[in-house]
Amino acid sequence: MSFSRTALSSFSTAARQRTSQNALRYREFARRGYSYVASRDSVVSRTQNPTIAVGMWLNGRSRQLHSSSIREHGQVTRPAPGTGITVHFKDSKGNLLKTIQGNEGDDILSLAHEYDIDLEGACEGSVACSTCHVIISPNHYDLLPEPEDDENDMLDMAFGLTDTSRLGCQVRLTKELDGMTCTLPSATRNMFVDGKKPTHH
Amino acid sequence: MYDRLWAPHGLVRYGVAPDHPEVKNCTHKFDAAATDPRFKFFGNVNIASSSEPSPIPHSFNIALSKLLPHYTHLLLASGCTIPNPHPLIPYSSYVIPALSLVHWYTDHPAAAGSPPPPLHKTKHVTVIGNGNVALDVARMLLSTPERLGRYDVPAHVLDVLARSQVRHVSVVGRRGPTQAAFTAKELREMMNLEGTSFVPLDPSMIQQAEEGPKLERQQKRILDLLKKGSAQKPGETEKSWDLSFFRSPVGIQLATDGDNSDYPVTLNLAHTTLSPTNSAVPTGIHSEQPTSLVVTALGHHADPNTPWYDPSTGHVRNEAGQVLDSNGKIVKRVYTSGWAGIGARGVLATTMMNAYSVGDRILSETYPEAFNSDITESASDGIAVLPTEVNVDAVPAEIEKAVQEGKITTYEDWRAIDAEEVRRGQETGKERERLSWDEVNNFLHKSSA
Repeated sequence: MSFSRTALSSFSTAARQRTSQNALRYREFARRGYSYVASRDSVVSRTQNPTIAVGMWLNGRSRQLHSSSIREHGQVTRPAPGTGITVHFKDSKGNLLKTIQGNEGDDILSLAHEYDIDLEGACEGSVACSTCHVIISPNHYDLLPEPEDDENDMLDMAFGLTDTSRLGCQVRLTKELDGMTCTLPSATRNMFVDGKKPTHH
Repeated sequence: MYDRLWAPHGLVRYGVAPDHPEVKNCTHKFDAAATDPRFKFFGNVNIASSSEPSPIPHSFNIALSKLLPHYTHLLLASGCTIPNPHPLIPYSSYVIPALSLVHWYTDHPAAAGSPPPPLHKTKHVTVIGNGNVALDVARMLLSTPERLGRYDVPAHVLDVLARSQVRHVSVVGRRGPTQAAFTAKELREMMNLEGTSFVPLDPSMIQQAEEGPKLERQQKRILDLLKKGSAQKPGETEKSWDLSFFRSPVGIQLATDGDNSDYPVTLNLAHTTLSPTNSAVPTGIHSEQPTSLVVTALGHHADPNTPWYDPSTGHVRNEAGQVLDSNGKIVKRVYTSGWAGIGARGVLATTMMNAYSVGDRILSETYPEAFNSDITESASDGIAVLPTEVNVDAVPAEIEKAVQEGKITTYEDWRAIDAEEVRRGQETGKERERLSWDEVNNFLHKSSA
């Protein structure tokens, strides 16, 4: 799947727009999909787009070849519709990214990965980094048990730390957290494409 | 990806302290990315732009000019590999950079021929610096083979630690606890280190820090840790350590009995205080610290031979990842990320964020249509050192030949060696046992270079 300049310029305008959208999705997917095995449900939802399906097939093939080197972090299963705990994920500007459902005991990092939310987890949930930092809605933050020393040590180094910040890998869902909002912090990765968001068609 | 070391992963393998294995989980992502058929790794390749000899004796050397015609884009991610020396304490057999210890305990190829630190005749170590590297080194020097045995610590390192006479480590910094760059996690580990006690700080020093300007969250937590100290007090344990704040080393001399003494060198320390702008200024008072070994942990800068190196910053000249030449002109399609671009600072998350942003920049400038971006190559005025079209499947002939001759390692080689290191480690109940370059060659059934 290459998007060389020559290839793009030979497309019709409509095709080029579709390719642009797919390029973005593929970029997001490629960064996400290689590291974490998608659940069956997310595979089904993504195969509606044939471009993504090809990408996934390639990815799945390479996983079969190298499955022993790819570790999975806290796989979660999706609850039956209407039975789960609702969590809203927002971007750093407060725009809703996705509203998802999780089960009691699921941690926020695993849920983010299950639903393709852009939350990094470099140390795979072992409280050795700060990349899964999220900002919790204040009333729900108060319901969470206090962070341990090791989590607080990592939060010390998190970008855009707030009074209701937690490491996503340490926040586990309970029924009383229904409706919680997790906002991604403000440290921008996309320093050059911020403000140049593509228009969706 | 060209790496001067035969194994990939850089500082994750050769910098992260062995007793912090969870930090190394990020290598799973690297391994996954390496499965992409478009990715090629060439290890043990020293890319030179000068006639400086490679620090790795067995590396395959190639000039940058030989590689440039084969690629449309170039990313420099070669880090900051040169330790900052202390201006007044020159290196000697008694004064070594912390990096040499880190290379020793991570089995770095550049340290392969070097003698280990003489810990069997070292009683007292002075570490100059107040960052995490200073604490990592202090912790390793005060650790026993029993504590470290299950981690990724080479057997020869455990042997040296088994015969170590180190009883005290003094961590010296020219400013105070509020300015210290180490983080709470590393400080907590030092306070909890088994068999080691912390010499309590003068309470007035902590009081002054607390009454000073408003403290950040991390600084408050560090002061709390300093106040609390270690569970055991000096005298109760065989080993101890201290934080000597507001001490600036200004000279060193051999002790009168020299080598025969347990403390063969003496450091001259100028006492300091903080100026209104928070810099260290001398008070006029001096003291002396007898010691056996001095370790400087004062940060790093990039190798000055790195292309487009900027001596005024100590890393590659760039603007948000776009490399600039000495006239400030853009070097087209040449980028830099990580410590090579931002200097030696930050934790893993910092470098990761930077890598993502530079990666996004490369993509958005190369495929502006896909990003609805206005930035195109023609819009930028700069110098060109790379071709615009290449055969993407071709590998430079010299590299291809060296791979076939076993002088260059591929990622597949790495996966095989990775598995073998883990297998050998299992024999002695440890995370992995490192292979030397000779062992790598024997294992891969290739002739050595």
